[in-house]
Amino acid sequence: MTELPSDATKRLKAVALKAGASVVGVADAAAFDAYAPAKHRPVDLLPGARTVVVVGGAQPRAGDWVATSPWLLSTMGTTERIQGVGRRIAQAIESELGYYALFVPPGTAAGDAPFMSLMLAAELAGLGARSLAGPVLNREHGFMYWSAVVTTAPLDVDGPETEAACPAPSCREMWERERSTPCLRVCPLEAGGCLEGRLEDGRAVRTAYDAGRCSTRVHTHWVGGFQKVLEETLNEPDRERRKMLVYGDFMTRTLWAITYSSTNIAQCFECMRACPAAHGLKEMR
Amino acid sequence: MTFFRLDPEVYARHRDEVLTLSNSFQRIDRRGLSDREIAERLGLDERTVTEIRVIAERDCYPLDEWQRAIDFKRKACSDWSAAALKRPDLKEP
Repeated sequence: MTELPSDATKRLKAVALKAGASVVGVADAAAFDAYAPAKHRPVDLLPGARTVVVVGGAQPRAGDWVATSPWLLSTMGTTERIQGVGRRIAQAIESELGYYALFVPPGTAAGDAPFMSLMLAAELAGLGARSLAGPVLNREHGFMYWSAVVTTAPLDVDGPETEAACPAPSCREMWERERSTPCLRVCPLEAGGCLEGRLEDGRAVRTAYDAGRCSTRVHTHWVGGFQKVLEETLNEPDRERRKMLVYGDFMTRTLWAITYSSTNIAQCFECMRACPAAHGLKEMR
Repeated sequence: MTFFRLDPEVYARHRDEVLTLSNSFQRIDRRGLSDREIAERLGLDERTVTEIRVIAERDCYPLDEWQRAIDFKRKACSDWSAAALKRPDLKEP
């Protein structure tokens, strides 16, 4: 191990921004212990881990948010671009600083459980806070994709953000008027959606969440959908009916999506599409 | 070594409890337990808990819920673009 230069954190953050990150922060690896279960903490992935560098960016464009097809964002919304920045950071830590650096895999460790929660990492690195709908929102950029690198380097850490982007001022006004918010209105639990919550003293409080249903929306044409249709197909005794399932639009779209499954992992954006804190809907021509 | 296959009866008995305790779906209010922690609590082995959890994640809803997901997204998306672009004609009936 080499001595860590005093400006190492600053230099590393400059590398991240130059590589395409919109935001970059550093979390204390030990801070995960209070929130993440064993096997999902930085030290479980990399023994001796001291800090976690988190980068965010690759947000959808204004045109993506107003597209008329929901399949556009589920195709173009990808972690791939920000993952490239994460890999660049890992390379810089090892080659320039001489410390171990582990790029956190974006996939899952078993079932739907991630190796490490990138949303928790973003929160602990001071890059955003959880919204009523769920995703971590950055106060300047809103909804973004995350990537993280666990390292043994004792970088300077950033504290968690104290003021959340959610609820946005217009959501507070809407709550006063209608006792609802845009995200709760678009996906209400009591009407077959996923979300339930309220604003209390200007803060968002989630009171219920149907994670199973959310999964069918976030991963519609993905591993879960494939398994469901496969099960249905195996249970179908009629050959021609089996063909309708296997060759149909759902299975075809699902297989296209699965071939990009390491990078294209979210397929529902409706709570974020309606969220004023997730993206500023600018006037465009 | 034979291929590990979960006993459907064990699955049926512990499915709901494992899913409720797990960290498969991230929550805003509390952290879920790891498979090992769940195993200790329920007196099962970790491998069995992992298998119950992974299968239960797919077993929450029937296939029809995937169709509802498609219909929901189509409508929500077209409603939004119609409102944002001030183009009521884009709204799906």
